[in-house]
Amino acid sequence: MKDRQGDSTKEAWILCLILGVILINFPFIHIFNNQKMIFGIPPLVLYFYIGWPASIGVTWLFVRQMNRESRYRDDETME
Amino acid sequence: MISGQVVLLISLLYIALLFVVAFYADRQRKRGKSVLSNPHVYSLALAIYCTSWTFYGSVGRAATSGLEFLPIYLGPTLMAFTWWFVLRKMVRISKEQNIVSIADFISSRYDRSALLGAIVTLFSMFGIMPYIALQLKAVASTLDILSNPLALPPKGLGALVSQLPPEVDTAFIVTLVLGLFGMLFGARHLDSSERHEGLVAAVALESLIKLIAFLAIGIFVTYGLFDGFLDIFHRFFAQFPERHDLFQLGTERTPYTKWFSLIFLSMMAIMFLPRQFHIMVTEIADESQIKKAMWGFPAYMFLLNLFVIPIALGGLILNGGDTSQADFFVLTLPLSTGHPWLALLVFLGGLSASAGMVMVSSVTISTMIHNHLVMPLILRLNIHLQDFSGILINLKRLGIIGVVFLGYFYFKIIGDSYALVNMGLISFMAATQFAPAVIGGLYWKRANRRAATTGLILGFALWFYTLLIPSFVRSGWLDISILHDGLYGIELLKPLELFGLRGFDMFSHSLFWSLLFNISAYLTISFFSRPSDSEALQAEKFVDVLRADKAVSGKLKRISKAPTIMEFVDLMSKFIGEKQANTAITGFLENREINARGGLADHEIPNLKAFTERTLAGYVGAAPARIILENYLSTRGSRMEDVFDIFGSVTISHAASREQLSVLYDAAQIVASGADLQKTLDEILSLLSAQFKFDLCVIRFLEEESMTLVVKSQQGMSSVHFGQSERNLNMDTYIGQAFLSNVTAVVNDTDFLDKPASAEIILREGITCFAHTPIILEGEPVGVLSAFSRSVKGIFTNEFVALFENLAGQIALAWRNDEQLQGLLEVHEQEREMQIAKNIQSSLLPAELPEMEEISVAGLCVPAHQIGGDYFDYLPRDGSCFDLIIADVSGHNIGSALIMAETRTFIHARADSLRQPSDMLHSLNRFFFDNMDCSDLFVTMFYVQYCPDKRTLSYSSAGHNHPLLWREKEQKVDPLDAEGLIFGIKPDVAFEQNSTPLGKGDILLLYTDGIIEAEDSSGEFFGMERLGKLLQEAGNLTSQEIIERIMNQVRIFTGLRHFKDDITLVVMKVLK
Repeated sequence: MKDRQGDSTKEAWILCLILGVILINFPFIHIFNNQKMIFGIPPLVLYFYIGWPASIGVTWLFVRQMNRESRYRDDETME
Repeated sequence: MISGQVVLLISLLYIALLFVVAFYADRQRKRGKSVLSNPHVYSLALAIYCTSWTFYGSVGRAATSGLEFLPIYLGPTLMAFTWWFVLRKMVRISKEQNIVSIADFISSRYDRSALLGAIVTLFSMFGIMPYIALQLKAVASTLDILSNPLALPPKGLGALVSQLPPEVDTAFIVTLVLGLFGMLFGARHLDSSERHEGLVAAVALESLIKLIAFLAIGIFVTYGLFDGFLDIFHRFFAQFPERHDLFQLGTERTPYTKWFSLIFLSMMAIMFLPRQFHIMVTEIADESQIKKAMWGFPAYMFLLNLFVIPIALGGLILNGGDTSQADFFVLTLPLSTGHPWLALLVFLGGLSASAGMVMVSSVTISTMIHNHLVMPLILRLNIHLQDFSGILINLKRLGIIGVVFLGYFYFKIIGDSYALVNMGLISFMAATQFAPAVIGGLYWKRANRRAATTGLILGFALWFYTLLIPSFVRSGWLDISILHDGLYGIELLKPLELFGLRGFDMFSHSLFWSLLFNISAYLTISFFSRPSDSEALQAEKFVDVLRADKAVSGKLKRISKAPTIMEFVDLMSKFIGEKQANTAITGFLENREINARGGLADHEIPNLKAFTERTLAGYVGAAPARIILENYLSTRGSRMEDVFDIFGSVTISHAASREQLSVLYDAAQIVASGADLQKTLDEILSLLSAQFKFDLCVIRFLEEESMTLVVKSQQGMSSVHFGQSERNLNMDTYIGQAFLSNVTAVVNDTDFLDKPASAEIILREGITCFAHTPIILEGEPVGVLSAFSRSVKGIFTNEFVALFENLAGQIALAWRNDEQLQGLLEVHEQEREMQIAKNIQSSLLPAELPEMEEISVAGLCVPAHQIGGDYFDYLPRDGSCFDLIIADVSGHNIGSALIMAETRTFIHARADSLRQPSDMLHSLNRFFFDNMDCSDLFVTMFYVQYCPDKRTLSYSSAGHNHPLLWREKEQKVDPLDAEGLIFGIKPDVAFEQNSTPLGKGDILLLYTDGIIEAEDSSGEFFGMERLGKLLQEAGNLTSQEIIERIMNQVRIFTGLRHFKDDITLVVMKVLK
């Protein structure tokens, strides 16, 4: 039961990693690649400077989740 | 405006502060309170990634190329996301194997290859040079800017200290200081696996200063000089509407390929730059720190970059769009607006960024040089020193200074002409070349040493050609024609358009080619070659490090002629110093089994060897440690032996399925249990047939007399033709072929048989596939293991055959064990029998000799071996008469002993009827002649009868040595002689009987030839004369004392404790 929970965390993890690779690369970033200004700031700048802390937040959530799981398990191995 | 002296003074004070912090951290550690146990310290130390390149360069890049500065941080952020899996694995492996650098890591993974370690070290050195140069350049330039902001060109520090020669420029002084700093922190102890708490604490503090300084200047620019972010953007676009492309990608300046390449490069750099590896893996206190660092480190980078764009834009606005000094906006902005102290803080931040990087890099690279270039060289040259440790630490210190100065020379020769950013990326690209070998090594067991070596060399060759050559050209080192026309004018070899690939920026271009070659070679060679056994074992240790149920591989080894604990300690002391060696061994022994003699239990010796190797690895690197230990063991004649073949061939254990492994394991257990051979064989076969559903399994052993293979064990269907029949040895049958050629014969489908002799039976029995594998002992086949299936085809895959052969190997072991056991039992049995014979024989000699008033008699019989052919006896007669007998049967074997026993029986049985010595000898002779085939055994005897009341000694001889008689009255020694032949030669022999009177004090000595034929070292006999003389001098000794004296003299004469021949002495002394 707990193992399954650990596995699903791992799956979500890999999903997020793939998402991360997509989000900072062409063609996705091409969406923001224009000269229109949003609140007077270029959209790409805005995108990265919001997305970046957001990704750090996601990592933080994952670590917290992992700590919770490891509290239930003696062995922390996720591999 | 701050004077140069003040800048210098504050810089030195700052460095002193760092030193104090480092010192404090080391002190705390000794007290057991590690500053590194704080996970934020780890995250901060990781920020060593952000060097002065970032500190000054990011703003410069943002001002000139826009968003291009971002990938360098986005990549690591993404990478940090994987750390719990990838980094943790690397950390776990490194802790287990005592790995101290990336060169060590790669070398360890690939069979502890010394060559690979050296290659990685050399490449790291080359790769790091531009980067160190970059740091030196940054410190020197900023120092000049700060102290002479208006002087153009900058006067340099040299102007401050006028006594210095002109060649000593700012960069030189900076180099010297940073080098000394690295030396003081990085090489105080030799053990590089011991963490440098001081160094890391200093680096963490530096990272903090970097961040504070950068945030300070960011806030100053954004909110002091301008009115917030929006204001800056607004004014920038108002002033430079045409520079909108700074914030766009896919432009000519920053195409998407470049964007991607930069992200990828920085992802690899954060993991594989030697200094990153050092801080991340070597210096980590605890795996759990990784978790905090996963968001802590990206958060740091985010904060550091928060104000990059505002500062860059602000600088452009205030400098009228001039980008030439953009790299130093962070300094020039506060200076030009009259805030020199802020500029000084920024300078300290930049200094921190440079110093941290230079220190850690130089320590790391120097460790690598020491472990992978110097140590192997020392070992190769066979330099013998009593104590290496003192020299080694100095070599390491020298290495640190050396590395920093390499950077300095690079800077002097090339650096000035090249932009900061390119130098950093050149290093990143070099680190990226390590990625295939490391990542592949972490997850792919098949990856092997040859593949990694080739991949690395190719990758670096391409790196050199596509990145370094162009940079040499731009600094004027090489002719520009190579860029335009290619090497030797070959167009396809243009460094920037290799093989005609054009249209890419130089980094994407180089990344593509170097990794293409690197990875292709790595994959292809790994795929087509197999790792060696020891390498496969290492691979398993790396790849499966996080698995809870790690295989037990490699634990079943023992060392023959193992060194003692002290010898291991001596070996370690030689390299790491006595104190450390003793501390290390104490730690090791704490929780080990110690046997009764105070030594290590046998099975712990290999662990001790591994421990010694790991400990040494911490000081000298994995590959040298292995060489040291192996040399050491081989010169002692020790070597590692397989205890069981079971996991000896690891090729099986890592390819085989769990089920197969368990069969091997169970079989090993059966063999190890030491049951009798038949039972062992039966159990192995039933294991085999039960697990893999064979219809028939047979073990045959060679019977040497008939040269046929005889069934020893069988499991499954019983067919007269199959299991039970013997097999002749010829190449016409598969089994004969397997035995004679010593190679496994496999037929996976019996529809295709090429041996008609076998085909008939096989097809009749409905066999679909089968295999015979020779049971090999010491290279020679001794039998064949066969398995047959009726239902399935194609069971015998390569893997399965390997397993099958392994089982045969185990059967061979069982067979050998049994042979040895039988041999031992036999020897033991014989010894036991001899012991019984000895006991019987000694019981045949008279236990006590009589002590009478008139005479005293003593006798001694010393067999040369356990049993002998000598005999003496005492036989009481009527009245006070008695007989003394001495006899000598040639030889000292069972035959002699039997004849001796026979003789005794005869004498005792016939004593009543045969009353005279001559009669007794006569009858004995008759008996021997009639009853025994004495062709190869001879018996001599001297028979004496003495009656005290008559004082007459009667005697007869059967060819025996002449006894000696000491006549007290006449004071002389007489030999006694009587005619008579050796027993058993002729049927009728006349034995003369003589008699002689005895007086008081006379001594009779009976002996066998063992006494007089005792030889000294020159081959001289003891002889009658010496014996007579001894007797002459023995007047006042008792009989027993005489015997003892004779024995002593003979022993002194021969110089031996034991005699070659049986010795028997009987002494009779007339007392009255």
